[in-house]
Amino acid sequence: MSDQLKDKHQRRERRTVKVPSDGSHGVRVKEATIRKNTEREIIVSSMDELGHHDENTRMVVTMENTYQTAPHKRFPVPAVTHILKDVLSSYLQQEKYEVEWSQKMTKTICEVIRARVKDLMIPRYKIVVLVHIGQQAGQSMQMSSRCLWDATTDSFACYSFTNSSLFGVATVYGVYFE
Amino acid sequence: MDEYQTEEETAFIVEDVSKIIKESVEAAIGGSTYQHSRVNQWTTSVVEQCLSQLSKLGKPFKYIVTCIIMQKNGAGLQTASACFWDNSTDGSCAVRWENKSMYCIVSVFGLAI
Repeated sequence: MSDQLKDKHQRRERRTVKVPSDGSHGVRVKEATIRKNTEREIIVSSMDELGHHDENTRMVVTMENTYQTAPHKRFPVPAVTHILKDVLSSYLQQEKYEVEWSQKMTKTICEVIRARVKDLMIPRYKIVVLVHIGQQAGQSMQMSSRCLWDATTDSFACYSFTNSSLFGVATVYGVYFE
Repeated sequence: MDEYQTEEETAFIVEDVSKIIKESVEAAIGGSTYQHSRVNQWTTSVVEQCLSQLSKLGKPFKYIVTCIIMQKNGAGLQTASACFWDNSTDGSCAVRWENKSMYCIVSVFGLAI
């Protein structure tokens, strides 16, 4: 931490009187810091960027309306499918089906995929990741899904992986948050 | 005049959803035994029925419904989900149902608009 920042924190601990600016831009004006020990009054006036101050001094920020009705960037299905393919193949390639391992693995893969999709930085999209791992034992299985959403903005990516002992299916839904 | 819904009316209530799922599964499959040729029809009707009941709740949600039907022969299946969303408004519900010859797993995700 730089000295300047430390100094700021100390001053805040003593006593800070804040006069909020109009509040809509995430900045505030800090004024009138009183130092008791020196009996001196120092007027400090500074602009703080939001996120640099303490929990208890946080103000509610009112954002301006964006008037944005459609996403700037749509859910990138090919990129997400690529992630699914990459993650499923790398985690399941050499594995044999075991119950406990599989329980852990579904959760791990879920977390990994969610983190990777989050890293794509798709603004205003909510993400749902579903992972299934099952044993290959000659059984028959069918999965189907249906969604109530806006097909122009929302989408999904799905990938399934199989080897001789197990199969893994991962689905990611990207839902635009209006 | 605009009509406003209260918080109670716009929340994702897991009990209601789980009831809807169970009813849909019972209605679609009931006591039937596993028949490969009918699975397609079953999954479709479970999902469809769930979705139509959910939309009748009239809440401001987008819904994702998935249904898995698997034949029972000793094979294992694990499912997990992870979401990136607003915890205070969005919710999910998963129901596992089984009879003598098959498993049916239905999961519903509700994402507030």
